[in-house]
Amino acid sequence: MNTATRNNEGTTIVDVTGHIDLGSSPDLRKTLLESLKETDRLAVNLVAVKYIDSSGIASLLEVLKAARQGQKRFVLFGLTSAVRQVLQLTRLTTVFEIRETEQEVLHA
Amino acid sequence: MDVQVKLRMPSQARFLAVVRAAVGELGSVYGWPEAECQGVILAVDEAVANIIKHAYHGNSEGAIEVTCLGAADRLEFTLLDQGDPPDPGRICSQPLDDHAHGGRGTHLIRMIMDEVCYERVPGGNRLRLIKNLPAVGCTEKERSDA
Repeated sequence: MNTATRNNEGTTIVDVTGHIDLGSSPDLRKTLLESLKETDRLAVNLVAVKYIDSSGIASLLEVLKAARQGQKRFVLFGLTSAVRQVLQLTRLTTVFEIRETEQEVLHA
Repeated sequence: MDVQVKLRMPSQARFLAVVRAAVGELGSVYGWPEAECQGVILAVDEAVANIIKHAYHGNSEGAIEVTCLGAADRLEFTLLDQGDPPDPGRICSQPLDDHAHGGRGTHLIRMIMDEVCYERVPGGNRLRLIKNLPAVGCTEKERSDA
């Protein structure tokens, strides 16, 4: 898994690529929590994530919790079928703010 | 002819990708539907990850053996480890919400697989996962006609 962080119209975007599993989810968690400290609006681009497991979902939930505590916005976008399937099976599709595209994130 | 694939790996998360690739390739050979294949890969990955986390508590020196017995209509995975037995409270179904601490991996396994059986065996633990796959290996048309 790799991550790259950038800014678009005041929103911090973290582009994630590859597989998020037990080995890589701690790195994702660390990256997102560090990014969240520096912004009020954090979006995670999952369009190049081919696989995510429950440890990855747990990391995203932890960031969501931190965002809520800090009254910040945390959005997921570009969900692949693999990511969407895991969110559906864990009944979390309504817990996260989910958008289709980056443009939707910026203008919602 | 049924196919048996066996992997023996250390209890290290970096080998999860190998397990996923092996299951995925087997799915390609058998022609499993994409969604079914993704689900089975996820279930087996979660099961191995649970062994690393909960049976071996992150100790990278443990051994995990994953055996996959594939047939046209049924897949059976057997996972063996020599770690601590699973916590009955964790492997039983529990309600999930966004505040739940853990248990999602086990929930996913039960949602995806048709049979899930945890057993204590001499020297360790055995987990059997079974997935019934109707009309595996046939064409899309045969599948829709079935």
